[in-house]
Amino acid sequence: MLTIMGGLLGLAVASGFVGALSGLGGGVFIVPALLIVAHVPMQIAVGASLISVVATSAGASVAFVRDGWTNLRAAMVLECATVTGAVTGAYLAGIVPAWALELLFALMMLQSAYFTIQKAGDSVVPESDALAARLRLGGRLPAGDGNAEAPYGVVNVPGGAVLMVVAGLMSGLLGIGSGALKVMAMDYVMHLPLKVSSATSNFMIGVTAGAGALVFLARGDVATVIAAPVALGVTAGALFGSRVLPHVNVQSLRIMFVAILVLIAVEMGWRALRGF
Amino acid sequence: MSYDDDEERILRVWTPVILRTILVVAAALLVVGLISMAWQSPGYYVSHFRRLQGNSRYQNRESWSDLVLNGIHGEPHAIMTVGLMVLTLVPLARVAFCFFLFLRQRDMTYVFLTAYVLMGLIVGTVLGRVG
Repeated sequence: MLTIMGGLLGLAVASGFVGALSGLGGGVFIVPALLIVAHVPMQIAVGASLISVVATSAGASVAFVRDGWTNLRAAMVLECATVTGAVTGAYLAGIVPAWALELLFALMMLQSAYFTIQKAGDSVVPESDALAARLRLGGRLPAGDGNAEAPYGVVNVPGGAVLMVVAGLMSGLLGIGSGALKVMAMDYVMHLPLKVSSATSNFMIGVTAGAGALVFLARGDVATVIAAPVALGVTAGALFGSRVLPHVNVQSLRIMFVAILVLIAVEMGWRALRGF
Repeated sequence: MSYDDDEERILRVWTPVILRTILVVAAALLVVGLISMAWQSPGYYVSHFRRLQGNSRYQNRESWSDLVLNGIHGEPHAIMTVGLMVLTLVPLARVAFCFFLFLRQRDMTYVFLTAYVLMGLIVGTVLGRVG
């Protein structure tokens, strides 16, 4: 028993650690690890991963909220979209065949790899458009590093919300936080500052994954003997990763992360084709 | 007390404390459940894991009252399941805090939006149970 439990814990700690260092979250790595290394079926891996995403995100966003980087109003507006998507996705995960989920996972890995390469640029707008102004979504960047507080606007809320439904859908179907997609929606589509997008995405991930996890738990689709060590391990790995992160040159690791994501995408795609 | 003070106190002081408490309780239940299982029935863990590896569709729908009762009686599987359920309370609690914050501020647009999110979480649970 200790060998199996220790193996699951090891996989989970490593996934949480790499997830924290890459900024993609542990879910992206624990699902393929459970599938490929532990030979656990897709549906069980997704259920366990959703629980671990909830556990990791619970502590992750506290510092951002405390320091004023999280745009709480934007998070609440967009959570309406992500929760709708996540509940739908988690419901569909009980119906969709495993090969289709694996194929979708492979595509999401490629999107994450693209995001990891492209991760740069900030196209901040000074003023919000009519809908965002009505919802009072604009905010101020906290003062720091010699900079004064700076106002920023928000635009294209409907466009961002559509992408958030997709992010929620992917979270519920695949057991991931969909942080990369959320940041893309806020940064590229709604033009929120990058750090505000990351902080707000962190805040939203727990609620999105929680919505999916509740469907899985209520349906009885969470295998406790796997989910318990995975949740503990991914959280421990993520905590360790966040401690190590300030002392590591993440830029130099970026190529390695992209290579890992592409390898996972290829393996998952191949599994999907074999299962079709 | 101004809205900003209110937000500061609720969001930046109480929310992290309560969320971390829920997290610690959930982690403690999971650890206790795993240790109990290793102590009481290591064979069950191995055979259950092997069975899961061979199943493409897993479903273990127990009544929640039975789970809590079994957990109180020290049944490891029930303790861990209750731990996982407590863990999923974290996002629910977070949205509930925001709901009460906006309600205090009489910001009805955001009261409606957070209520929608809360409803979504509840509908998800019901959908999983009956679906």
